Amino acid sequence: MNAGISPGQEGGLPPDAVMAVRGLGVSFAGRAALSGVDLDVAGNALTMIVGRSGSGKTTLLRALNRLNECFDGCRTTGRVLFSLDGHPLDIHDRAFPVTELRRRVGMVFQTPNLLPLSIAANLTMPLRHVLGMDKAEAREAAREALVAARLWDEVKDRLEAPAKTLSGGQAQRLCLARAMALEPDVLLLDEPAASLDFMAARAIEELLSGLRERYALVVVSHGLGSAARMADHLVVMRRGQVSARFAAGDLARGEALAQCMEEVF
Amino acid sequence: MTARPRPNRTAPGRGLERAARAAAWGCALAATLPVAFLVGYLVYEAGPALGGGLFFGDVPALPAILGQRPVWDGIWPACAGTLALVALTSALAVPLGVAGGISLSLFARGRRRRLLRLGVDVLAGIPSILMGLFGFALILFLRRTFLPQANTCLLLAAASMALLILPYVVGATAGALDALPDAMRLLGPSLGLSTWRTVAGVLLPSARRGIFGGVILAVGRACEDTAVILMTGVVVGAGLPSGLFGKFEALPFYIYYTAAQYQTPDELTRAYGAALVLLCLAVGLFLCARAGSRLLEGRYGMGEMR
Repeated sequence: MNAGISPGQEGGLPPDAVMAVRGLGVSFAGRAALSGVDLDVAGNALTMIVGRSGSGKTTLLRALNRLNECFDGCRTTGRVLFSLDGHPLDIHDRAFPVTELRRRVGMVFQTPNLLPLSIAANLTMPLRHVLGMDKAEAREAAREALVAARLWDEVKDRLEAPAKTLSGGQAQRLCLARAMALEPDVLLLDEPAASLDFMAARAIEELLSGLRERYALVVVSHGLGSAARMADHLVVMRRGQVSARFAAGDLARGEALAQCMEEVF
Repeated sequence: MTARPRPNRTAPGRGLERAARAAAWGCALAATLPVAFLVGYLVYEAGPALGGGLFFGDVPALPAILGQRPVWDGIWPACAGTLALVALTSALAVPLGVAGGISLSLFARGRRRRLLRLGVDVLAGIPSILMGLFGFALILFLRRTFLPQANTCLLLAAASMALLILPYVVGATAGALDALPDAMRLLGPSLGLSTWRTVAGVLLPSARRGIFGGVILAVGRACEDTAVILMTGVVVGAGLPSGLFGKFEALPFYIYYTAAQYQTPDELTRAYGAALVLLCLAVGLFLCARAGSRLLEGRYGMGEMR
C-alpha cells in the first residue's frame, strides 16, 4: 500500500467530502470485484449506491471500513482518504488504526446482526470496549442512541431481555443505534430495509432521512423508488465500476430517473 | 412453539410413507431398547451391592471420604481417582482444545490449515491403547535420561488422556465456529472491536452450543477409557489419589480388573455396582455440563434461541 499523504499534497480531500475513494480496485482470490472506482462521500448527505446484485455495491461499501480484508484472498489497490486528527490519510496507511477507522465508519448490515447479548448489552458492550466507557456512561450513551433510533419507547421496559426477542424492524433499529452510539462520522448501510416488511422499511427510511444532518450516510439499495425519494447523490454501479452519477436535482426530473432505470435494469 | 406440519395424508405414495414411518419408529426403538435393557440388567445385577458398603466397605463414611482411614473393600478410592483424573484431564484438554479450534477455524490459512486439520484428524484416529503406550514410553525415556525417579502417575495418565480427547474438543470448536454465518464474523470488526474481543465476546458465545457438545463427549470419553490409564499409572489398591505424582485407582479399571479376577460372587456384584456408579457419574457430568451451558445462556441472554 502507498505511504500516507501529507496534508496539502495532491489527493487531499475535496471540499464537502468526508471520504474520497480514488482508483479503488478490490479482488477476491484473483477475481476482480471492483476496479477503478472513484467516489466522494459528501458530509451531511445521503449517498446512495444502486446496481444489480453482483455489481460490487456491497464490496464498495465494505472497502470504506476495510471489512473486505476479513475475507480470504482479498486484495485492495487504490486509495480511500479519510481524515485522521484533521489531516486526510489513506485508510490503508499503517498510521491509521483499523479499529479507529471502523468505529468512525459505522456499519449496519442487510439482515439485523445482533450480538448474542441482551438489548442493553448490544449497545454497552462495544461502548465499553471500543470507547472505554464505564458502566454508567455506557448506559447513558446507549439510552441516547436508542432515543435517536426511535427505539427507546419500545424497549425501555425490557432492556435486559435477549436482543433476539426484538422484531426485525426493531432489531435493525437496534443495530443502527449501536452504530450511532459509537459516535461515527460516516454510517454505512447495506440494504438496511431489504429484510423488513413495508412499514418497518418505511420507518427505517424516514429515520435515515433525518440522520443526514448528523452523519455522512452511504446506503446500498436495490430499490430505485426509495433511491429517488431519499438520495442526495446517486451512484450507479455496474460490473464493478461506477457507470453513472446523479445529484438530487437530476433525480427530481423524470428523464434522469428513466436513464438510471436503464442503467440499472 | 408452533405446531409441526403433519404429512399430507391424501397424497399418493401413502403406503410407502407408512412403511417409512414404521421403519423410523423401528430404528428409534432399535437404538433405545438396548440402552434400556443394559441399564435394567445393570441395576438388576448391581442391586444387592448398592448401599454405603459398596463405596466404603466397613469403614464409616466420613473418615473414608476425608481419607483419614483407608478403604480396602469399597469403590470410593476408585470413584475419587476417576473424578480426579477427569478433572485434571479436562483442565488440560479443554482450554488447549478450544484454543486449538479457534486457531484452526479463524486464523490458520491455506497450507497451514490443511496440515493442522490433518494433524487433528490423525490424532482423533489413534487408538487409546497407543496413547497409553506413548505415555508409558515417555516415562521410560525420562527415566533413562534426566529424570531417573520418574514413574507412571496421575499427571501422566491425565496428560495421555488429554491427548486422547483433545481432537474432539478441537474438532467441535472449529466446527461450531466454521458454522457461524459470515455476517456474524464481520460484526465484531465492523464495531471496531479488537480481534480478542471479537473472539471472546461475539464468536465463542455464538458457537458455545457446539463447543459444549464436544466437551461433553470428550469428558464422557475420559470417564470410561481404560486402555490409556492401564499403562500410565492406575493400580489396584492405591487408595485415594495422593497427588499429581502418585498412583491412583479408577472405576473402569476396577470393573475390568474385578471382572477378570473375581474370587466370589460378591466381588462380581460389586463390579456391577461400580459399573452402575460409573454410568451415574458420566450422566451426572453430562447434566452438570448442561446446567453450565444453561447458565451461560442466561448470561448471554440467549434463552429464547433454539
